[in-house]
Amino acid sequence: MNPYVLTILLSSLGLGTILTFASSHWLLAWMGLEINTLAIIPIMAQQSHPRAIEATTKYFLTQATAAAMILFASTTNAWLVGEWEIHQLSHPLATTTVMLALALKLGLAPVHFWLPEVLQGLELTTGLILSTWQKLAPFALMIQVAPTINSSLLIAMGLLSTLVGGWGGLNQTQLRKILAYSSIAHLGWMVLILQYAPSLTLLSLFLYIIMTSSAFLTLKTNNSLTINTLATSWTKSPTLAALTALVLLSLGGLPPLSGFMPKWLILQELTKQGLPLSATLAAMTALLSLYFYLRLCYAMTLTIYPNTLTATAPWRLNFTLITLPLSIITILALGLLPLTPAVTTLLTL
Amino acid sequence: MTPVHFSFTSAFILGLMGLAFHRTHLLSALLCLEGMMLSLFIALSLWALQMEAIGYSVAPMLLLAFSACEASAGLALLVATARTHGTDRLQSLNLLQC
Amino acid sequence: MTYIVSLFLLGLVLGLVAVASNPAPYFAALGLVVAAGVGCGVLVGYGGSFLSLVLFLIYLGGMLVVFAYSAALAAEPFPESWGDRSVLGYVVVYTVGVMLVAGWFWSGWYETSWVVVDEFKEFSVLRGDTSGVALMYSYGGGMLIVCAWVLLLTLFVVLELTRGLSRGALRAV
Repeated sequence: MNPYVLTILLSSLGLGTILTFASSHWLLAWMGLEINTLAIIPIMAQQSHPRAIEATTKYFLTQATAAAMILFASTTNAWLVGEWEIHQLSHPLATTTVMLALALKLGLAPVHFWLPEVLQGLELTTGLILSTWQKLAPFALMIQVAPTINSSLLIAMGLLSTLVGGWGGLNQTQLRKILAYSSIAHLGWMVLILQYAPSLTLLSLFLYIIMTSSAFLTLKTNNSLTINTLATSWTKSPTLAALTALVLLSLGGLPPLSGFMPKWLILQELTKQGLPLSATLAAMTALLSLYFYLRLCYAMTLTIYPNTLTATAPWRLNFTLITLPLSIITILALGLLPLTPAVTTLLTL
Repeated sequence: MTPVHFSFTSAFILGLMGLAFHRTHLLSALLCLEGMMLSLFIALSLWALQMEAIGYSVAPMLLLAFSACEASAGLALLVATARTHGTDRLQSLNLLQC
Repeated sequence: MTYIVSLFLLGLVLGLVAVASNPAPYFAALGLVVAAGVGCGVLVGYGGSFLSLVLFLIYLGGMLVVFAYSAALAAEPFPESWGDRSVLGYVVVYTVGVMLVAGWFWSGWYETSWVVVDEFKEFSVLRGDTSGVALMYSYGGGMLIVCAWVLLLTLFVVLELTRGLSRGALRAV
């Protein structure tokens, strides 16, 4: 793609998200979402093979529908209540519609079906943008409207997302689809706690972005798209293979890694709010996700690609990929747990 | 809920249902999106007219500009789909299913 | 005027039924044209003559012409109209559904809720929406710039998406 055009597209991608962040009016927020969708479409379709085009079409249809629903809900609110402010969204019809539309935009459980298919058709860098940066603007809106949404709807959506995210990923062999289901499960955790501690939602969104970027960048470095090809990662870069297993376990939320922190705090907050059943169900469904993370770890670190040679190292050429972001973000994805006391202090401020 | 409010609400929901349920052609789906945008345009302008908030007459114009952008992006995707898949039927978009 | 506007509102809903009931794109575009034309009538009835003109010129004249052109390009030899069995089912279901919901709300609609707002101001020359839209050039300048930016962005989006005859699996001749 022409670098000038790419510059315009990327800056519009930023502009859309920032417009949505900065707006207090539904119309401007909707405009930001639309700019975001329009800007990423040619980036998604730049390979222009049938799968990329198909993924782009599906993404466009869902995002346009969700944005239209958001504007419709705010118009309904203006007709019934007379308010256009994002904070003033108060009519139950409008809040429920907005929640459903944002769920469609993010890919939460009852309306998540587009996310694995779309992510499967993209290359890894675009998939990284799609599953991190594109989640920010809807989440900014969701956090602002969260106090007026029916709480049982939120909890049902959150639990269903964690369940579907774990369950759907079990039978997959494609890494991008597995990452899509992992994204659904993580979003479910964020929505679960949305009404009780919005700061925890932000924290868990932040950590999700770090861990997912680390996973995507690793896959890009290894150039692997299915579980089979993960087996070659040991010969390509042993350090990366060992660390990636830890990153995947961090995505699963095992204790000494930073992925444990949001799950820990969310479970604690849920039990404190008198929702032990929801907390138990969420923790159980996290085990489903853990299964496929463990399978990835197994394929990556404990298996060797079938090879007739005894050599384990490939030809050593100069590595041309820039790996500084990968190393920084992997360290962040592994070692943030000791910061938990500081984070909890900051959250209670 | 006044009759006007009912009319554009039902128009929007009809467009949404048409988009959500079975579609044969991609072009029909895009037309349903346009129908939703049309009902939103009417809703916004009628709100501005009924509340006599004349400053809000700008809002439907902005909506029209954005929906034009959306429609053109959709038609461009229609062209791209017709090139890669050879048809614009939504059933042929099945390469990525689980 | 009230009677005509209520007929227009009915026409708007029926036009969307015609679009949503999954006919061939040929007829769906026709339904959308009808809905847009009727929507212009509704806006005129409520005193928004300039917005109605914009809707007529830009929406009907600009976008729907493109849609009708695309529909004509994709025309099938035997397009399904609203009389065909599969489409007729959708039409009946949607119409009956809308009528049921309208019947539910019917008791809340008394006579004055139908009356058009400016029944008696039909002969005034200056309408509020004309000066309201002109605000885009003073207070709403930022929005104008955002709109201009997104139109430019769409130009690049469309060019990137449709670029290149040699792209894709099937070579378009």
